Amino acid sequence: MELGRFLVSPAPHIRSGESTQRIMLDVIIALLPAMIAGVWFFGINAILVTAVAVVAAVASEAVMQKYVLKRPVTVSDLSAAVTGILIAFNVPATLPLWMVALGSIFAIVIVKQCFGGLGNNFINPALAARAFLLTSFAGDMTNWVAPGADAVAAATPLGLVKGAEAATQALPSLMDLFIGNVPGCIGETSAALLLLGGLYLVYRGVISIRIPASFIATVAVLTFLMGGFDASLAAYHVFAGGLFLGAIFMATDYSSSPMTPMGQIIMGIGCGLITVVIRFFGALPEGVSYSILLMNVATPLIDKFTIPKKFGGVKKSA
Amino acid sequence: MRDYIRLAGTLAIVCIVAAALLGLTNIITADKIVEQTVKANTEARRAVFMAANSFDQIEFANEAAPLVAEVYEAKQDGSLIGYVFKSATKGYAGTVEIMVGIDMNGVVQGVKVGNNNETPGLGKKAEEAVFQQQFSGKLSSAQVAVVKNGTPKENEVVAIAGATITSKAVADGVNQAMAAFKQLAGK
Amino acid sequence: MKLWKTFFNGIIVENPALRLVLGMCPLLAVTTSIQAGIGMGAAVIFVLLGSNLFISLIKKIVPGEVRIPIYIVVIATFVTMVQLFVKAFAPVLDKQLGIFIPLIVVNCVILARAEAFASKNKAVPSILDGLGMGLGFTLALVIVSSIREILGAGTFFGISLFGEAYKPLLIMILPPGGFMVLGFTIAAVNKLTEKKKS
Repeated sequence: MELGRFLVSPAPHIRSGESTQRIMLDVIIALLPAMIAGVWFFGINAILVTAVAVVAAVASEAVMQKYVLKRPVTVSDLSAAVTGILIAFNVPATLPLWMVALGSIFAIVIVKQCFGGLGNNFINPALAARAFLLTSFAGDMTNWVAPGADAVAAATPLGLVKGAEAATQALPSLMDLFIGNVPGCIGETSAALLLLGGLYLVYRGVISIRIPASFIATVAVLTFLMGGFDASLAAYHVFAGGLFLGAIFMATDYSSSPMTPMGQIIMGIGCGLITVVIRFFGALPEGVSYSILLMNVATPLIDKFTIPKKFGGVKKSA
Repeated sequence: MRDYIRLAGTLAIVCIVAAALLGLTNIITADKIVEQTVKANTEARRAVFMAANSFDQIEFANEAAPLVAEVYEAKQDGSLIGYVFKSATKGYAGTVEIMVGIDMNGVVQGVKVGNNNETPGLGKKAEEAVFQQQFSGKLSSAQVAVVKNGTPKENEVVAIAGATITSKAVADGVNQAMAAFKQLAGK
Repeated sequence: MKLWKTFFNGIIVENPALRLVLGMCPLLAVTTSIQAGIGMGAAVIFVLLGSNLFISLIKKIVPGEVRIPIYIVVIATFVTMVQLFVKAFAPVLDKQLGIFIPLIVVNCVILARAEAFASKNKAVPSILDGLGMGLGFTLALVIVSSIREILGAGTFFGISLFGEAYKPLLIMILPPGGFMVLGFTIAAVNKLTEKKKS
């Protein structure tokens, strides 16, 4: 570490009670309502998937740090647990448990630890795991079931809108969509409870509202314009799929989203744009996860172009 | 000036030697390559029409079957026993090529899914024999329909799980071939 | 003694793919099955042998100003010969490798060896260098394609390894898997050679 490069300003310093652990705990608290909803809608399977995802994520982080990298074990900062929960939120409740575990291991070992651990991952580990699983096990990752005890195979609302599935089932109502009573991944269905968690995080100062707000607004405006000025279609696109989960909990990942306020808004708009393009023109019915991954990769570039101007410096001689 | 001549001359000599070598290689391989291409094409058609042993392409254009791209007469020892159709329908990701063999009684002899960009693990499963064999024995008198699950009826096939669009694309290709066949056979 | 060194140089010390990181395009593109990997490797060995030998023989008469065009012509000739022979006698391989056979022309391993070795050395060392580099490249192709085929398709040389129940890790035979396996292979090679030095 080249500590010499950093300037420490003279005292007094402001002390903050913030720690990684506290932030992650806040994120977990914010995720709880949606998790309970997931269990309510998809039953015992949702609990099992979440438990396996968290245990596999924490265990692989500990093993990786202790035995492979030989560094201090930092699982108590809860970041691996959050990644685990987010992975569980991003898969259907019917996914075989070994696949869930594999996703967690991939997220932690390859995406997080191989790139330097917490704060150094260039893309969101949970989303990378989702992309990894979706590409590898497309069938199991799209094995949606309707909420309820008997797990009837069903299509997701976005799948129905896209016409990817034979329209033998009626479109769920907007209200069902809002509270989450629709087929989908464990944690993505309930827009209402995710919003609640998001408000808590904004209140606690864990995330800024810029990325989620610009992301969701972009999707709303674009779907309204492209859907032929149909407000209900726009509302449908906003509440369906993983938009709230992605916008609030994934796109705001510290290490893979821009630091500057302007950059965060660009990130949100970019995510929204790519999401809508994928939903309308792409082969997949849902594009939130890939849009965030793509903008994650663009983050260093966005930061570079939106870095605040330094005042009072010496003009470079031309 | 002499330098330029030397440069150009050397380059020219190398090129002439290269051309001679390539010409020689071409003489050795040309016939063999034509043979392989013919063999590969015949084999691709035989895969959907086992009984035939030679195929001749014929001209075909029909509004009832616009997606049929190529038509071949399937012959057994010179006598016409059916047709092979190549159609290109719209799948989940781009076009899907489908080869269909139909005999003179209108019975589907075989279906083979060719070039496509369908999703590996889902739509790509259309390339598997299990799915393609469902079409064998279907009659051209009735269109083939795709059902999602359950026991298929006479003119139905079961879709690949999670890949309804691809399954439909293949069925479309078969239906197009049937329509083309009806016109050719005058039935 | 020195000749042996020339030969082994390409296989391990300066492995063109895993140490010099040359020829990444075919390494990523055709390594979805071991068969294709070995086929590609054989084609590269043949072209490397031919071009290295030929270029070392004509090095005296090749003017420095036009050496690169001449190398390209020589390489392209050998590649086209390979392509025609493969088309004629190994149609299955031709279907698997497709466009990547003609693309051997622009495989930097071959031009790099022509420029860096064959144009400065006698015929025998050049042959050995071509053979060593070709084998080294093939070795890399085999390593990467074995990992990808075993994980991504559950097969080895097309033979099923784990039975019906195995769910292949499809991503491994898709482009992202290629990049991942390549990265980890290079990392492993770095790790292994690092230990040897100390």
